[in-house]
Amino acid sequence: MFWRFLLAAAFGGICYLDRTAAFQVMLHRPLVVASVVGAIFGNLAAGAQVGAVLELLYIVRLPVGASVPPDDTGAAVFGGAAAATASSSIGLDPGNFAAILLLSVLCAESGKIADRFVRRMNGRIVHLTVDQLEKGDSLAVEHGLMAGVTLFGVFGMVLTLLFSGLGVSMARFLLTRFGPESHFQFAAMLPAIPLLGAASVFSCSRTDKTSPVFYLTMGCVFAAMFFFRWLV
Amino acid sequence: MGGIPLRVRRKVWLRQFFLQGCWNYEGMQNLGFAYSILPALRDRYEGQPEELSRALKRHLEYFNTHPAMATVILGAAIRLEESVAEGKADPRAIGTFKVGLMGSLGAIGDSYFWGALKPMASAAGAIMAFVHPLLGIVTLLALYNISHLALRFQGFAAGMGGEESAVRFLKEAGISGRTEDRKMIAAILSGAYAGVVSSQAATMFGGAWPELGVFLIAAFAVHLFTVLFRKAVSPSEVLFLLLIMGALVLWQ
Repeated sequence: MFWRFLLAAAFGGICYLDRTAAFQVMLHRPLVVASVVGAIFGNLAAGAQVGAVLELLYIVRLPVGASVPPDDTGAAVFGGAAAATASSSIGLDPGNFAAILLLSVLCAESGKIADRFVRRMNGRIVHLTVDQLEKGDSLAVEHGLMAGVTLFGVFGMVLTLLFSGLGVSMARFLLTRFGPESHFQFAAMLPAIPLLGAASVFSCSRTDKTSPVFYLTMGCVFAAMFFFRWLV
Repeated sequence: MGGIPLRVRRKVWLRQFFLQGCWNYEGMQNLGFAYSILPALRDRYEGQPEELSRALKRHLEYFNTHPAMATVILGAAIRLEESVAEGKADPRAIGTFKVGLMGSLGAIGDSYFWGALKPMASAAGAIMAFVHPLLGIVTLLALYNISHLALRFQGFAAGMGGEESAVRFLKEAGISGRTEDRKMIAAILSGAYAGVVSSQAATMFGGAWPELGVFLIAAFAVHLFTVLFRKAVSPSEVLFLLLIMGALVLWQ
């Protein structure tokens, strides 16, 4: 298990760098993160199931200007670790699935607080860089940037360790305490979560033209699936 | 492309991926911009440490735009620095140019990348993940990065052509049209995703609920969520509400 956490932390560090500090090639997206973390903890498919739902949930919160969106990478680390652990022990039924998705919001919000803290620390780094530059040291710019990148990376690794640990603990100790009735009641809330994700994407792409297209497609796909079920 | 050697341009191109490496609330991407342009400045002001230091301070002023669109400004700023080093332009022109362009480029980039391309790629990835997780990941990464990396590269090349070339690039790239197209595709994909989810819900509650009723409830839920998002309610707040409801159920 120790190696799994170590591997997850290394991967998480890279993903958190991709989130803000470097590249932004979408390695930090929940679908990628939850699948890989799920694979590290023993079940890629379970991680991907959680990741596919988390992928769309927070997309409506844009990282524009100084606003910091919820940490969906952290939510995916938690969700991937919890889903993989649960699937190999108690099983990933709809009740567990909904509970994991709902509890991941705590990680998303606490990750956001950590992100803000790193950005404030970076402000100090820039002040120190400017001071050094005043003394004629042009290398200070490179050192300052590397310090910022390192800070983002280290925080990413720490958060990954914390969230994956919480995910594994939750799957082992909390989900096992749920009775069959509460499983059913949590399962009843499950459809609302991916619909929230669909609404999140729809809100981003909402124009006069796209509104009817969205509802029309939703109706057509629903009707097609109903038809195929009826046929079978 | 001026007097900047290819290896220096390559260095600047690689460094622009770290534009947000030291993102902070005061100067935002200022240190990242200075870091990115540094190889070009070193080339221009070789053996002139004071000039180099002055040029670096110019680029440590407040700077914030969309990270993928910053390459346009970066390229053009390098050309302006060349003119300044040759005594053909006023150093203040660089700051004016950067400030003049970063706002509009930020708005264009945010609308295209965060408001259209990312939702489209994410929805496509989430749908393909129903088929196979790896297919979902590949779809998401490919759909986003083909356009993302191409625009970063084209923007940098256009910027290196000078200010007029940068402005011409923005006009001719047709980003506004692309944004509309991506938004339409994102709406179709998210509609399909919502259709699949409501169909699964209908199967889940099949015994007690008529299928059409489940669909109408799902469509109403999506409408309600979009109204809430327009009122600045965050998805986290909705999830918190569901979590509290779940906790109350457990408590009972």
